[in-house]
Amino acid sequence: MAAAALREQLNTLISSMFASGMVDEQFQQLQMLQDDGGTPGFVAEVVTLFCDDADRIISELAALLEQPVVDFDKVDAYVHQLKGSSASVGAQKVKFTCLQFRQLCQDKNRDGCIMALAVVRNEFYDLRNKFQTMLQLEQQIQAQQ
Amino acid sequence: MRPDARNGGVGRTGNQFPVGMRVLAVDDDPVCLKVLETLLRRCQYHVTTTNQAVVALTMLRENRDLFDLVISDVHMPDMDGFKLLELVGLEMDLPVIMLSVNGETKTVMKGITHGACDYLLKPVRLEELRNIWQHVVRRKFSNRERANIDGFEECHRPSNADFDHAHSQITCGSPDQSGRPSKKRKEYHSEEEDEGEDSNGQENEDPSAPKKPRVVWSAELHRKFVAAVNQLGIDKAVPKRILELMNVEKLTRENVASHLQKYRLYLKRLSHQASIVAALGGSDPFMHMGTFEGLQGYQAFTSSSGLSSFSPQGLLNRSNPTSFVIQGMAASRPIQIATGNSTISHSIGDANKYHLSLPGNSRQQGSVAQGLTTSVGQVQLPQKWIHEETDDLSTILSVNGLANGMPGTLPNVTNSPLLQQDLVECRQAKVVIQPSSSTSSDRLEGTVGVPSSLMDSRASQQSGLPLSAFSTSALPINGSFGSNGVAELGVTSSGGTNICASSHLRVARDNKVGASSFGSVIPVSPETAPSQKYLSFGCGSNSRQNMGGGNADRLLDSKLVWSSLPTSQPPSLIGSHHLMSQRPNNGSPGARMIGQTTASDSTAAPQMKVDVLIPGEMLTPKDASDLSFPKAQSELSSSSCSFDGLLNSIIKVEKDDASFSDVLGCDFYSLGACI
Repeated sequence: MAAAALREQLNTLISSMFASGMVDEQFQQLQMLQDDGGTPGFVAEVVTLFCDDADRIISELAALLEQPVVDFDKVDAYVHQLKGSSASVGAQKVKFTCLQFRQLCQDKNRDGCIMALAVVRNEFYDLRNKFQTMLQLEQQIQAQQ
Repeated sequence: MRPDARNGGVGRTGNQFPVGMRVLAVDDDPVCLKVLETLLRRCQYHVTTTNQAVVALTMLRENRDLFDLVISDVHMPDMDGFKLLELVGLEMDLPVIMLSVNGETKTVMKGITHGACDYLLKPVRLEELRNIWQHVVRRKFSNRERANIDGFEECHRPSNADFDHAHSQITCGSPDQSGRPSKKRKEYHSEEEDEGEDSNGQENEDPSAPKKPRVVWSAELHRKFVAAVNQLGIDKAVPKRILELMNVEKLTRENVASHLQKYRLYLKRLSHQASIVAALGGSDPFMHMGTFEGLQGYQAFTSSSGLSSFSPQGLLNRSNPTSFVIQGMAASRPIQIATGNSTISHSIGDANKYHLSLPGNSRQQGSVAQGLTTSVGQVQLPQKWIHEETDDLSTILSVNGLANGMPGTLPNVTNSPLLQQDLVECRQAKVVIQPSSSTSSDRLEGTVGVPSSLMDSRASQQSGLPLSAFSTSALPINGSFGSNGVAELGVTSSGGTNICASSHLRVARDNKVGASSFGSVIPVSPETAPSQKYLSFGCGSNSRQNMGGGNADRLLDSKLVWSSLPTSQPPSLIGSHHLMSQRPNNGSPGARMIGQTTASDSTAAPQMKVDVLIPGEMLTPKDASDLSFPKAQSELSSSSCSFDGLLNSIIKVEKDDASFSDVLGCDFYSLGACI
């Protein structure tokens, strides 16, 4: 019954993510898509895509904000993209921080942007940890079946 | 599975329609794309994805029948989603759904005005995607409706094709032309691109019964459109309401939306330019007008502006952004130099440039034909036209002699094809300018008179000449009176434009106009081309002129020039006239032209003119003898070319109407120039 225990653990994890507002109903929908639609691994795929993509964007942003002259348009474009992908995956907190980030970016507030980036990064890392745990659990469950 | 059941229920069209609907999803964000793809598949659509707009466009162009619907992200690095949207809308008439995290009203509005059939916010929900098939059905349905009106399309298609060619030509030139990276220009460029490609598409499509006909915005249609927009207020005008007001059967909301968007762009552009000039120049791009008309308009303006208080440079500079304008510029500058210099100091800068270029022209004139061909290179069809035109011109000329009775005026106009009527109507109705009305009528008379006769005797193309003159006259009028209102101007100009678009006649006109107006440009353009990017445009137009000019133009030119000379007698105005005449002349390789120019130079009191004339002088030596005034006058009287008629009428008007300010006079001259 290790599988049941694992599943229990997984469910708990996911509920806590919902409860904390880390993910929203979009994530739920993705799960439903996977479960109803017979597309196993879909959530894992999307989550992995998101983590890689967000990680890339965050490092791009960090590099941009280190420039002596910050290209806020570029920053804005990246933040926008991050917002889009986090919205698609249901990463609610990251999405919200992106909103603030964009505002600061439009104000051309460099320090604000750097702080916002830190917040986004933290949120993202938190989320990524959960996602990774989640994926591991799913893998274990799969392995057991 | 639930969704399946629902889909089955929804697919009333039979065939389980929504199932298997072919959707192309475009998003640069892999996460979004993946989610979107999965969602779409869940709806049982047939999904193709790409993360690059350019790739999407290529796929669509290569297999336009393989997709029913496009879903595109708004923000993409390689191509703005709006641009893709526009291209798709113009080229394949596929429904496009825009997708963005950004739900600001402004952005959404932009998407809709660019022709998006829907605008979804990320994250997209399954429920929304389940419904998107309706856009496909709607589009197909409206197309079917349109298909019933084949007559309408058949009438317009040929001209449309020609027109497109002209446009594509323009397009070729445009990319080079401006060093100005403004966003507006970029949009413009993209639009032009569309047009070019669209035209190609059309050609390919034609033989195999195009499944998605394209709406031709005829003068009539556009007039309705503008009326509707004005009624609603430009800010409150939405495609649906406009469509209701227009009450035109074959139109779809998308058509209107796209047109509205262009119209807005065009208005926006207008607001950036001097009101009048802007109106003329702006109208061209908007309407997809032939380059030529634009030129005419500009010439008229420039010349008028030069005389009047307008600072030509300002106008010119502003006009630069649009490719069309640029064409106009090329043409107009020379005029300015001649006309404007005396009056305006501002213009000097431009004048200098042109001076530089002009010398080159003079040299090249010997090999004008070559220069033309090279420049023309890109545009193939136009050449055909040119040839045709040439023939027509000669014939027309002979005919004109008969037609010269100029007085035909308005009546003739009415008799003449519908298109002309439209123009006339547009002018009169829309152009509120009172003072001009008398003037305009005179002009019209001159111009129109010829057309009618031509029309009868000749094929549609032949009519082109007179028509062109006509349109020309219309433009100048607008320009001169431009002060009335941007919107009005737009209408008028657009009216002219529309005409061009619809039928052969239109095309012919454009050509002619182009030729005439371009004639002036021609000399400049060859030289300019190397230095500036406008050249390409100018060249294209120029080439036409040359072609046409070769045969008939000589006759015309000489006569024209002469007529202009007599006109020159009035002091300040003379300068402008000469210039006007010169240009046309320049277009034709004939030495006479040059000689005439020189003659005019001598006649022209203003020193400024000299600059312009210089090129002519270079060339002149041969024809110096021709310059004598008496001859010229006699020729004028004897030769009853439509042009002469126009000039004469114009001149008369000037003389008669002392009340007219210099500006008006200038306008008239511009007419002459256009001729």
